[in-house]
Amino acid sequence: MPKLIKLTDAGPDWADDIFIDVADEDAIPDGPVILSLARFQAEGDALITSNRPVGVRIEAGEAVEDLAYDLPRIAVVALVFPKFRDGRHYSAARILRERFKYEGEVRAAGDVLLEQARFMIRCGIDAFVPADGSTPEAWAAAASRYRHVYQRATDDLVPAFEQRRG
Amino acid sequence: MKAITANRLIDGEVIFWNQGQWVERFADAQIFGADDDAHAEAALDIAKGQPTVIVEPYFIDVEEAPTGGLAPVSYRERLRALGPTNLPHHGKQAEGGAAIEALLAATGHSRSTGRVNLIRRK
Amino acid sequence: MYRYDVIDQEMVQDRAREFRIQVARRLAGEITEDQFKPLRLMNGLYLQLHAYMLRIAVPYGTLNGEKLRRLAHVARTYDKGYGHFTTRTNLQLHWIKLRDVPDILDQLAEVGLHAIQTSGNDIRNITADPHAGATADELDDPRIWAEVMRQWSTFHPEFSFLPRKFKIAVTAAVKDRAAVKVYDIGLAMRRGRNGELGFEVMVGGGLGRTPYLGSTIREFLPTRHLLSYLQAILRVYNRHGRRDNIWKARIKVLVASLGAEEFARQVEAEWEASDKEAVDLPDIELARIRAEFGREFETLAPRSTVFEARRESDPAFARFVRRNVHAHKIPGYAIVDVSLKVPGETPGDMSSEQMELVADLGERFSLDEVRINYEQNLILPHVKLDDLPEVYEALKGAGLATPNMGLISDIIACPGLDYCTLANARAIPVAQHIAERFADIDVAEGIGELKIRISGCINACGHHHVGHIGILGVDKKGEEFYQLTLGGSGAEDATLGQILGPALPANRVTDAVDALVDTFLKVREGEERFLDTFRRVGMAPFKEAVYAEAH
Repeated sequence: MPKLIKLTDAGPDWADDIFIDVADEDAIPDGPVILSLARFQAEGDALITSNRPVGVRIEAGEAVEDLAYDLPRIAVVALVFPKFRDGRHYSAARILRERFKYEGEVRAAGDVLLEQARFMIRCGIDAFVPADGSTPEAWAAAASRYRHVYQRATDDLVPAFEQRRG
Repeated sequence: MKAITANRLIDGEVIFWNQGQWVERFADAQIFGADDDAHAEAALDIAKGQPTVIVEPYFIDVEEAPTGGLAPVSYRERLRALGPTNLPHHGKQAEGGAAIEALLAATGHSRSTGRVNLIRRK
Repeated sequence: MYRYDVIDQEMVQDRAREFRIQVARRLAGEITEDQFKPLRLMNGLYLQLHAYMLRIAVPYGTLNGEKLRRLAHVARTYDKGYGHFTTRTNLQLHWIKLRDVPDILDQLAEVGLHAIQTSGNDIRNITADPHAGATADELDDPRIWAEVMRQWSTFHPEFSFLPRKFKIAVTAAVKDRAAVKVYDIGLAMRRGRNGELGFEVMVGGGLGRTPYLGSTIREFLPTRHLLSYLQAILRVYNRHGRRDNIWKARIKVLVASLGAEEFARQVEAEWEASDKEAVDLPDIELARIRAEFGREFETLAPRSTVFEARRESDPAFARFVRRNVHAHKIPGYAIVDVSLKVPGETPGDMSSEQMELVADLGERFSLDEVRINYEQNLILPHVKLDDLPEVYEALKGAGLATPNMGLISDIIACPGLDYCTLANARAIPVAQHIAERFADIDVAEGIGELKIRISGCINACGHHHVGHIGILGVDKKGEEFYQLTLGGSGAEDATLGQILGPALPANRVTDAVDALVDTFLKVREGEERFLDTFRRVGMAPFKEAVYAEAH
């Protein structure tokens, strides 16, 4: 079974990736699947059962707001980074978590690199399919390079201005 | 004619290919003749396979300079081979000598009238 | 000025340590140049024509003696003993080696300096009025808000991979010395109906291929909502700014394509949907930052006999006062320009020795404060009139007292093709030549205020669009040619320059400027500035003067 990196209470660790990423032109197999946004809106709704979690693949530039109504039943939102320097999904992740209070898995796929670990985790992404062969240990180290943060984000790190209050 | 140039990764120095080595002086660069494309391409391929040594190797066109010797056709490349015009004691041009003089005198079809000395050097 | 506390200090140390890790990964081949480039750009490190260039941040253009001395040390130890101040009030070192950068960043971090986000597609150094805290005509010290924004924008997890660079400028005075109308976001402080302070928010200004002045999307934003509103603007930009074409990726293109009204509506909608309280700073933190900018001034007599006597007896000193000294809000003090524009020298360049001298003067005579303005000059903001003669002598001895502020030889020029891989043509020799032609200060004073701005390419780092005379280097069949524009202004009366005519070859530019000045002096009324005359009489006489000669 393929693996991905998941944020656990003990930090990043390997986890089994139980989902199959289904291309639009392929038949939908049994078991947990991730569908494109358009396909989910057409067919995905009907697939969801308690035994078959369904996830949605969001390309950069697609609006996560379009998922808002279905979010409570969606197991995974996969944000696909076309290029690591395309930063649109950082906003998508924050909107999912902070505006819609989404509690399922938000995973980063595509051009996912170790050096962006901290940005991704701070924005509420909690699963990663790394494209550079990096390991959970490396992600843990990269995410903890800084002792402080200046601004509040999706994670629960206390921002500097609150730390200063004592 | 052409040569291969790049910047050295570790320090950003402008460098030129010479038979598998990287040299700092344009005068020491390997020149590929007009009918030598196969060797030139092969050399560039090797250069592109050195990402921890150099950054972005590429070809530059080279021609005879009016006072003898060779010079890059492009003004930008002559500046890379020489240094900035506002501080002539900075960069490779500070070395002086015949090769530098040839570069300074170079014109070619990419001659810039800006090379006419606007500023009297003190 | 704001002093780093432990948190600020550890932040820049951690950043230096992170970059050391990233450089090691690059050298070991663990990351490609393509993957490394945005990382080094986020740390202000470019690969330029001759070497790496490091752009060190000077947040809102404010330094003290310790920091300026450290800059001098780094320039001497790791570069060629000089640095170049830019139109974003940062310091560039043009001969840097990658292998030295981790050590450089460590040494900068020791005194609270860094190169964070001085390049890359992120929120850049926030610039402010260089007379902040010293001028009588401000509603508040804009640097308080610049510091608020500096912290919020540093390593912002959502906004570090924007479509393109993002520049913010803030002013709180009537006179705009920060050119707020030509940046992605310009903030001009205003007083609201019930006396509270707020900002007029302008978005979508920018120079470059298609210059724009910012559009006001909100007439009044209470200061306490600054960060939540910025988040809304940045989020709309991050999500909808173009990423297919770097020439169309700035926010000004998004604002133009949506229209300012629709853009404002989207920002307001995003703002209303967000949790403002989670973003905006609590009052206690605002008060803490504000207190850092508080200043104790001595109570002095408004007139200084020492100063008056010297001014009366020494015409050169009198001229220096006339051109390079400005009124301070506190009686007995003055704001003093430090000119980096000796005619014939590279505009904005400063040697390590000069930096150390000004650091010393700042400590002894300016309450340990030194400023950089966007016109590539320095400022000693709090000099007692009593001390001015001594400060003048020291500056003069170091070649820093050229009395040409705002005059024809006070030229802004980018590094241009002499240093920059983006450039089409050289800018520095053009500036040198023009300044030398008009080196006679009597002539320059006779001409009056005339702001020449020179850019070596369309990226407009030399601000040519907002020069009274703007000069843009272009590549015409491999030759250096220069396009002149007239009538631009970066101040509160902001306008974009109009093209004079076909581009000129390098060796005709200075003569063209000469012809423009001649024409101006002939048609000028009273004490008009060149800009005022142009606005009154239009392009025709100037165009004729420059191009009629050629035919």
